[in-house]
Amino acid sequence: MVFLMWLRGLLLRRTGRIAAASAGLALAVALPAALGMFQSAAQQSMTARAIQRVPVDWQVEQQPGAQLKGPLPGVSRQVDFASVAGLQSQANGQTLTTGGARALGIPADYAATFPGQLRLLAGTPTGPLLAQQTAANLHAVPGTVVTVHRPPLPDAQVTITGVVELPTADSLFQKVGAPAGAQPSAPPDNVLLLPAADWHRLFDALPADQVRTQFHLRIDHRLPADPAAAYTRVAGAARNLEVGLAGAGLVGDNLGAALDAARQDARYAELLFLFLGTPGIVLAVLVTALVARSGQVRRAAEQALLRARGATRTTFVRLALAETLLIAVIGAPVGLALAAVTGLTVYSSARLTGPALAATALTLLVSCAVVLLPALRPVAAARRRETPAWSRYGLDLWLIAGSLLVFWITSKTGYQLVLVPEGVPQLSVDYWAFAAPALLWAGASLLILRLARLLLGPGRPLVARLVRPLAAGLSPAVAATLARQRGALGRTATMAALAVAFAVSTSVFDATYQQQAQVDAQLTNGGDVTIGQTTATEKQLAAVPGIAAAEPLRHGFAYVGADLQDLYGVRPSTIVGATRLQDGYFSGGTAQEIIGRLASSPDALLVSQETVTDFQLRLGDQVRLRTTDGKTVAFHYAGVVTEFPTAPRDSFLVANASYLAAQAAPGDTTYLISTDGTAPHVVADRLLARFGPSAKVSDVESVRRVIGSSLTSVDLDGLTAIELAYALGLAVAATGLLLVLGFTERRRTYALTQVLGASARQLASFIWAEVALVGVLAIAAGAGAGWALARMLVLVLSGVFDPPPSSAAVPWAYLGQVIALGAAALLGAGLLAIRAARRPPLTVLRDL
Amino acid sequence: MEAIAVTADELYRFYRAGDEETRALRGVTLEVAAGEIVAVTGPSGSGKSTLLTLLAGLDEPDGGTVWITGRRMSHRPPAEQAALRAGKVGMLVQNGNLIEHLTVAQNVDLAQRLAGQVSRKRRNGLLFELGLSGRAGAWPSSLSGGEAARAGLAVALANRPALLLADEPTGELDAHSETPVLALIRDQAQTGTAVVIASHSPAVRRFADRVVELADGRVR
Amino acid sequence: MSPLVSCQDVARTYGRGASAVVAVHGVTCALRQGDRVALMGPSGSGKTTLLHLLAGLDRPTAGTIAWPGLDERPRGQVGVIFQGPSLLPPLDVAENVALPLLIAGCAEGEARRRALAALAAVGVEGLAAQLPEELSGGQAQRVAVARVLAGSPRLIIADEPTGQLDSARAHQVVDLLTEVAGRLDAALLVATHDPVVAGRLPTHWEMRDGALREDVPWSS
Repeated sequence: MVFLMWLRGLLLRRTGRIAAASAGLALAVALPAALGMFQSAAQQSMTARAIQRVPVDWQVEQQPGAQLKGPLPGVSRQVDFASVAGLQSQANGQTLTTGGARALGIPADYAATFPGQLRLLAGTPTGPLLAQQTAANLHAVPGTVVTVHRPPLPDAQVTITGVVELPTADSLFQKVGAPAGAQPSAPPDNVLLLPAADWHRLFDALPADQVRTQFHLRIDHRLPADPAAAYTRVAGAARNLEVGLAGAGLVGDNLGAALDAARQDARYAELLFLFLGTPGIVLAVLVTALVARSGQVRRAAEQALLRARGATRTTFVRLALAETLLIAVIGAPVGLALAAVTGLTVYSSARLTGPALAATALTLLVSCAVVLLPALRPVAAARRRETPAWSRYGLDLWLIAGSLLVFWITSKTGYQLVLVPEGVPQLSVDYWAFAAPALLWAGASLLILRLARLLLGPGRPLVARLVRPLAAGLSPAVAATLARQRGALGRTATMAALAVAFAVSTSVFDATYQQQAQVDAQLTNGGDVTIGQTTATEKQLAAVPGIAAAEPLRHGFAYVGADLQDLYGVRPSTIVGATRLQDGYFSGGTAQEIIGRLASSPDALLVSQETVTDFQLRLGDQVRLRTTDGKTVAFHYAGVVTEFPTAPRDSFLVANASYLAAQAAPGDTTYLISTDGTAPHVVADRLLARFGPSAKVSDVESVRRVIGSSLTSVDLDGLTAIELAYALGLAVAATGLLLVLGFTERRRTYALTQVLGASARQLASFIWAEVALVGVLAIAAGAGAGWALARMLVLVLSGVFDPPPSSAAVPWAYLGQVIALGAAALLGAGLLAIRAARRPPLTVLRDL
Repeated sequence: MEAIAVTADELYRFYRAGDEETRALRGVTLEVAAGEIVAVTGPSGSGKSTLLTLLAGLDEPDGGTVWITGRRMSHRPPAEQAALRAGKVGMLVQNGNLIEHLTVAQNVDLAQRLAGQVSRKRRNGLLFELGLSGRAGAWPSSLSGGEAARAGLAVALANRPALLLADEPTGELDAHSETPVLALIRDQAQTGTAVVIASHSPAVRRFADRVVELADGRVR
Repeated sequence: MSPLVSCQDVARTYGRGASAVVAVHGVTCALRQGDRVALMGPSGSGKTTLLHLLAGLDRPTAGTIAWPGLDERPRGQVGVIFQGPSLLPPLDVAENVALPLLIAGCAEGEARRRALAALAAVGVEGLAAQLPEELSGGQAQRVAVARVLAGSPRLIIADEPTGQLDSARAHQVVDLLTEVAGRLDAALLVATHDPVVAGRLPTHWEMRDGALREDVPWSS
């Protein structure tokens, strides 16, 4: 009852202070909760995307001579494969023949059962279907009669009813049971798909070594949200099935492979949580601690009164606990609600699980502790004149040195923070790397505190000179006042600087991440919009509204020795500008220089570093490539290319398009389109409408959503928004709130100054000097520390960037907002303090 | 009614500020019987407040002993001192005898609870006698000087103390307000409470049964 | 000789309505160069309020107050010594003494020189680099006197300057104030309720319930 009465009084009469402490605690709790929701939503969407990307979860291959017995889990369909010698068609009186081909027998409902496995480009899916490339080779359209060479059996004929694309050809034609780490086998060039009945009629009589049977499965998709857990479950189930089949079948685990990739991204999402979230959380707790510490004088007086009434230490502890509980009971739900609102608006989910839940609970506990401590022991701020121990021993410098050391060690491993050993369920995460930024944060905080103390100690004459414009003749007194409060002022300035550093580092990291995601998408897609498999000409394309330019890029394949590589033909005069080639894509020169070599010699060839090493090439060496139709074309090695728009990550070749055309090397032309500012997906729709469904059109926006790192796909924007909003809140709290609380404790000084005859202007100079000091330190030190941290984060987390950034991006607009809001908070604090200081001095002195 | 409520035996207390030592008390001996009112007078700095603090067990003497109703107050664990103080001693300090975020009635309640003797009837009676019935729900900051002094006295008497210690209880009051407060203290003394008042006021000197004058830490 | 300060029927009321407190009313008085006045009266009688009005730190709610012997703005030209700590905690002793000079527009070097001279004059030049919290009560009051001296005011007002001191030190401070006032040829008004202190000043005023009686006869 005493406690209820006490708390009611605090709520009614100490509303401001309780509200400030609760707000600090709410902020401290909300940040990990919101970040946890981000992480949880990110994981969920990574798992969901992995599942969505895979049309056929498992391909169970029946082993030669064995017969699969017993029911298979989930939904299964039988698919038969036959290897045939070739396909043949007659077109315009010309006979066209392919090399070896695969014929698949699929049940009628196969496409419906596994959506995404087949994409119908022309005709109807009811009869024999040709893969797009095969149809192109045979000049076949629906209705074309295709002859199947199937030695030792006689030729058979089928009438094609449709043309399909096989988006997952790689996994469809995988070698099931290939040892881990084996080179993936290339999918066949020619594919014929037959209704199951037709396939059995045609191929049942083939020798057993030319046919095999698979069962395609879709398993239960109720999987854990965490990709790592989902991977463990799926991979375990696959092995379990293999054991159950007792050698009769092997499982090709497509879903497991997709989840395996996703779990790496999930670990990176967790690391982002750690790297970007922790400083903000610590900062919020520190602000709460400083708020809770203020008002100690009044607390001490209250405890004296209670003691006079016979209160014991137990009573104080209970009252302090009750007050803490009150603040927690107000702050924690507000914080969680804030996080939930953030979660629901940004991710439409407010789930909080596992480590994030623990982090939130831990933050709540620590916040309660920092609120409880000053309530327990209201020591009227003891003034310590000696240098703190950390400063004497140079702890700040040791921390920074330690940070750089760890950073250097991490850099030697190439910042591989997440290691994914092939086929092992456990990921290893290099949490050590976290120590570098953590130590830098700690070291920078203390260093800023040291600088502030130095400035206000030995640097006092400098401060006096700096405040002269504000304080005129009073500047020595103002400087002395600032100097004697260097403990409190140093803490406030350091908190403000850390808030700025947090905002700077987070926003620079986020902006860099966005920049690289855009570069990555550009690199994958080639241009804003890319159109291939079309008969449209450059001129026709250029006439489509919204298109600024269309850059032709010829694509085919060629053998380098036994290695089949992508071969790109470019127009050197325009390619650099049209596709924004970056210097980082080449080695041994700038993009302009290397492409220039193509322009100056028609038979120049750019190859990958791997090829240079494998074949011991030196500049000017002749390279002979064998094209897919058997011709040999001679080139000269002219440079190394590492990345190229639309090119795969491994080895590929770049040459002059005009030279390839002259040598009649097979290939078709893709156009990389730059828009005139019209949204890429709008242009993509126009192109599809104009050049028909067979054209392959993709735009950079969709690509960015789909490609590689699912971190991008879970929308880092949400994380960015949370972080940046909190950074703003912290900056305002640290600058304004702490200053106001500080001013409150100096009311006596201001009142006495007035009694001694100070004018309003002179009095204000004390306050503005303090405001200016905190502001300047916060911006200068905060920007410096923030920049250093951002650089370190971008390097340490380079694993999430693809490709690694050549320079960090600075979001000036956002930083401008932070500084403007921080300045507004400072200004507000100053004006409040001046208004309070102008109260009649006696009233103030009487109250104190 | 000749029971001794409080005994101070040869009390010494020294303070040190900078390199200057203040001898606040230099061998003060005092005995107050139940129902007796003693005024402790003397110039500021003569040791009045220090004496009261030692009698309340809020500070330890550097020499000497304090006894409250026959039980030792000085030199024992803080928890026992607190219990003795809660049960036997009422304290009225010079200014700010009230917790600012509790109402007048709640301040009295709090003192009663700490003493473990909750009585709504006594609380209302106290407030009535002190002319504060209408101000029971008021916040301390809204009270006038006289009201604040009377409310402070109500808090000090909340636990029916055997010993009431008052440091300048009428310091903030004009002559009109001084009288009813002193009358209430007199009433309280008649129920057997020993009263020690530190004050400059001539009215208090006249009012007390006995005057003890301190000068430079000694009884003059 | 025109007075340094004169009050005509001055009143000061705090608060409004039912809870309004009349601290000072109907006060008419004047202080001239060379006056040495002790202002007596119990606590709460309005002494402090009157001092603040005379120093120009507060405005009367009725009546007029004027400083014909001073420049327009009295604040800064009246040396004020407060009850309790009146030094600025963040400034050291020399800086505290120099502050009013800096406020008045004195150059830094000159202000420091005069501050040190004033400290020497009251015999505490050795404390120049100390912080207020490191001083004893007596030292702090001497420094406050030095601060007044350094400002060379024509009117010195002290509110219970000996409140925290034992009697020997109280004498010293009052004598020091008198000496300083003499050196500056200023008027001195000291509020006190210590009869010993009052006895060292020739003129006595008394406040009672907000009203002022001048030239009270005095017998120590």
